[in-house]
Amino acid sequence: MKSNNAALPSRRDLLRQGAAGAAALLPGGLALRALADEQSFGDAGKDEFFIFIHAAGGWDVTLWADPRNTRAGLVEPASTANTETGGVRLWKDETMDGDIHSFKLLQPSGSNLVFGPGIGGLLDFHDRLCVINGLAMNTVSHPDGITFSVTGRHLQGSRSLQPSINTAMANELGLAQTFPSVSLQFPSSYCGDHLDRRAVPLMIDRVGNIAGVLSRAPQYALDGDAMAVTALLSQEATALASRSAYGDVLRGMALQYRSLPGMLSPQMQNLFNDAKLRAAHPEFKYQARGMGPSAVNAAFALEAMKRNLVRCVSFALGGFDTHAGNYRQQAQLQQTMFDIVATLLRGLDTTPHPTKAGAKLSEHTHILIMSEFCRTPQINLGGGRDHYPNNSALVISPRFRGNRTFGRTDPDQVLPLATRKFSDEQRAITPPDLLATFVSAFGIAPRKYFREGEVVPELLTG
Amino acid sequence: MTTRLTAGSATALALALSACHRPPIAIAPTTVQPLLATAVIPQDTTPKEDVRLLAAEVYLRTYLQLFGGIPPVEAQQRARGNEGTALFDNWNDYLAALGFPDYRNDLPRSTQTNGLMMATFDRLGMALCARAAEHDLRDATPLPQRLLFAFANPPATPDRVAFAPAFDLLHRTFLGYPARLAPAGRTDAFFDVYRDIVARHADGKAPRTRLTPVQAGWMAVCLGLVRHPEFHTY
Repeated sequence: MKSNNAALPSRRDLLRQGAAGAAALLPGGLALRALADEQSFGDAGKDEFFIFIHAAGGWDVTLWADPRNTRAGLVEPASTANTETGGVRLWKDETMDGDIHSFKLLQPSGSNLVFGPGIGGLLDFHDRLCVINGLAMNTVSHPDGITFSVTGRHLQGSRSLQPSINTAMANELGLAQTFPSVSLQFPSSYCGDHLDRRAVPLMIDRVGNIAGVLSRAPQYALDGDAMAVTALLSQEATALASRSAYGDVLRGMALQYRSLPGMLSPQMQNLFNDAKLRAAHPEFKYQARGMGPSAVNAAFALEAMKRNLVRCVSFALGGFDTHAGNYRQQAQLQQTMFDIVATLLRGLDTTPHPTKAGAKLSEHTHILIMSEFCRTPQINLGGGRDHYPNNSALVISPRFRGNRTFGRTDPDQVLPLATRKFSDEQRAITPPDLLATFVSAFGIAPRKYFREGEVVPELLTG
Repeated sequence: MTTRLTAGSATALALALSACHRPPIAIAPTTVQPLLATAVIPQDTTPKEDVRLLAAEVYLRTYLQLFGGIPPVEAQQRARGNEGTALFDNWNDYLAALGFPDYRNDLPRSTQTNGLMMATFDRLGMALCARAAEHDLRDATPLPQRLLFAFANPPATPDRVAFAPAFDLLHRTFLGYPARLAPAGRTDAFFDVYRDIVARHADGKAPRTRLTPVQAGWMAVCLGLVRHPEFHTY
């Protein structure tokens, strides 16, 4: 149970003061760096929103973030021989081998970034994209890769050892929200005694499932009936708390009783209603091939943030596990997913922030898109690509540098290359580094949630 | 090395031994006076930790028991009746919200309530109490066959005297102890809610529901007990 004693300095305050004191006494070096990792950068995230997207199945990075359109070493690029190109809008043929064509690389004018055609509609937002390539995954197992991507630690047996990134952000910045973290088929985990129970992700299979819990039958009770009972229970809980030496739980229940009428309001039911979300946000293409129906998750994120009811919305967009002939749709799937993200960004651009006057949601919304690993550079006998221990990730955030690629892979094998001197060695960036960098952008000490990982300041603005 | 005992050292040893050999010192026992009290305080017997949420399995088991000791699928069928999902969806929609652990997603069991859990308690409580009120509070249902409201049909006009024993029975059923042992005023508070709801439903201008005013009033009392903080904690 967390203490509410405001007179005591928080651990963060102590660390901040300690770090300042140490900085005054010590010459730089490892000790200071360690302190800086623990140091808070201030409570800079109370009005921020977070969207985490898991591209489920393992995406082919050579079709978007780390594009390859020529044969080299092991690399057999996507081509008209192995890919359905008809529906891929940005696919422009580039001669590769006689009648077989690969794609033309896409480099927006004035941009440092080069993409493959899978990027779809997100190409229009290239100046906001921070692409991380050559993420060393050290795994080709779906469960392990998923867990490593979202928690920064490999599985121990079948168990996650650390909270996932959405849980960490909800625990730090979302406890005051009605729903600190809503997780729609996202691989969320909640581990650690230091976490507040309110940060437990609200795990939902699909948005519509909650509508049932929130609906009430008018044929059995009048409007005021349930409210009268709820008010009575709130009083009972308060009275019991006042008689108890330790009344935190009962006081919490009293608050929850009081908030129930708001949760049962038609507005909230509409938020969790699949059909009404689709009607409110017709801009998403719900009929798009593959993951079109999952676009309702993006509509939910937009609507929930607009109403300031959530801090984190996490969801999965799947179907990338293309081991066989279904690889032919990989480019199309990527286009659909990035189109959804592009539509989401447009929505964020036009939606006012619920608490910051004059600000748009997009100025305070931070999106992290990741997958469990990428796919092999070579095409297998079934015409697909298998699991491969390299990866890419995408961050779209005002706190991350846009129009930037960090990390790289080798030309012949598409494996991560050492790109930076970390405190331990010259090595490739890993998911723990990315997660540590992400939380640090909001004044959160990475070590509170992640045992490993080092902040990469080059990715951050300011 | 050989040690030789000289006459001088033998004499010194004999003297030392004779000096140590004394009769034991006898210490007579004395009466110990009790310490003087500086203050008198009562022993603190209050629980030294907060109340805890019952495990979701316990809630589910109790719920099924209240529904007549039937299996979950049958309870779902009875709760749904012929009205589709008006009162009840299906168990799978509620398990996560009730706080059951989800080992597939490595989600631990919930040890504290949250807003969604409270809404789920309300939804499930409504299904139980509405179906029980419909079933029990009719002349045709003999007392032994009643699920929850195992008391003589209450008068149409709210009556505090008639309310108390019936409420006590429900209080024992849901919370496990007599209402007279509850914090003062509980029976009155529930009666006030009961009376208001009966009056609201009896008002000719109010929308019609499937329950009579008395059934609606007792359903509300039932709902207040099945969602009560003492029902969910220990």
